[in-house]
Amino acid sequence: MLATQLKYDLLMFTREIFYLVFTVVVPPATYIFMGQLYGNQTYGANLSYAQTYTPSFILLITFTVVFFAYGFDQVMQRTTGIEKRISLSPVPRKTLLFSNILRSIIITSLGYVFIFLIGMLMYDLQIHLQDALSSYAFFILINAALLILASVIYSFFQNMNSALVFSIVIFQIVMLTGGFAMPISMMPKFVQVIADVNPLYHMNNLFIAVWNGQLNFDSNTLTSIFYIVALVIASLIILRIQNKRKMI
Amino acid sequence: MNIIDVRNLKKSYGQNNVLQGVNFHAQAGDIIGVIGKNGAGKSTFLEILMTVKQYDAGKVVVLNEDIHSLSITQLEHIRKQISVVLQPTQFYKTLKVEELLKLFKAYYQSAVDIKQIIVDFKLEPHRKKYFDKLSGGWKQIVSLAIAFLSEPKLLILDEPTTGLDPHMRNLLWSYITDYNKRTGGTVILTTHNMDEIELYCDKVMLINNGISEVFDTTQNILATGYQSIHAFYLARVSI
Repeated sequence: MLATQLKYDLLMFTREIFYLVFTVVVPPATYIFMGQLYGNQTYGANLSYAQTYTPSFILLITFTVVFFAYGFDQVMQRTTGIEKRISLSPVPRKTLLFSNILRSIIITSLGYVFIFLIGMLMYDLQIHLQDALSSYAFFILINAALLILASVIYSFFQNMNSALVFSIVIFQIVMLTGGFAMPISMMPKFVQVIADVNPLYHMNNLFIAVWNGQLNFDSNTLTSIFYIVALVIASLIILRIQNKRKMI
Repeated sequence: MNIIDVRNLKKSYGQNNVLQGVNFHAQAGDIIGVIGKNGAGKSTFLEILMTVKQYDAGKVVVLNEDIHSLSITQLEHIRKQISVVLQPTQFYKTLKVEELLKLFKAYYQSAVDIKQIIVDFKLEPHRKKYFDKLSGGWKQIVSLAIAFLSEPKLLILDEPTTGLDPHMRNLLWSYITDYNKRTGGTVILTTHNMDEIELYCDKVMLINNGISEVFDTTQNILATGYQSIHAFYLARVSI
């Protein structure tokens, strides 16, 4: 049953133009465009554009897939009555959940490979096997954290239009304050403040460090890790409370 | 054989006491209509029978199981024997009709042949259409076809014919009555169309002011002097 559900979940993803544009088209196109503009510059600890922005744009694809195709999709199914109809059939909730998680991992992994290939072909990206493996493992952890965060954020929406507006606005905010467009240190002070509370900014910094084998457990790194873990724990508690209320 | 037994069922939403003492029972093969004005609690009552809504007090036995004490896994097992048709019917909008049938066949782990279902429900011209692109009537027919995939012991329909033209209504009812005769399955439905109650239902339950005010056969109700179920409804239910 899981295989059938996963097959149709993937099929439905490919048929949603809205999801495809924001997940498969916009992040790679932005990665290429930014590379054409700033490809020759160096960033952070003497890193090239490809070393800095390849993990960033993999993270951006992961964010868009999880927030649009998982989070927003949940709102759509809930508000249109699909969730109710599915809950009336004997498919175990665990099957639906696992299928959704696997779908996200499969699509974001394809995004991972896609951005990686663009980086290799256009921006001379190189990576060592050990860094590649640790990066992929970290990427899966990010996937899990984003799935949990998206679940709780979108669980508050009872209206599809407001969820759609939120999704588009949050995409812009994440692009600007997550360090995906240009280094946050070059941004105005208020953007830097927003970046500090944006979990994607912390994930981005950690992912760049892991990708380049530069993860040091200094105070900045530990602050980022604790902040993300705290958000995930808070989200899990909220989800647990909501699940108890659901059948009432 | 007892399919459903409900005693003194109570359910409220905050201060709104929707069900304040509903008694109901259904035998195998019954077709029972549940009527009442908008907001009377008909859909809440059906959702409790579908095992997807909790209730505050009373006893609800579905297919010989007291659903109050069941785990999620046990409820999922009961749901294998129940099929539902909702109004409005919603399924994944980017799946085609045949794909939906295959997906739900997997859910119900059904042995029913999809090709036969497509033939039986005259779905061949719509097989490759997206569910979202179908007319309201065909959506209901597809919903019923999906409901029959599991060959259910209990079929629950929430206003299944609302918004359908007379031909589609007749078609839908022909499938429901055929299922009932062929399998001996029980059908419980809500509707605002009293002609349908009179034509197709063995029994009728009127929910009024939160209680099951009348629960009797349509024949007995008509025998008390009402010209029709429609007249009975107008006489018993105020605006």
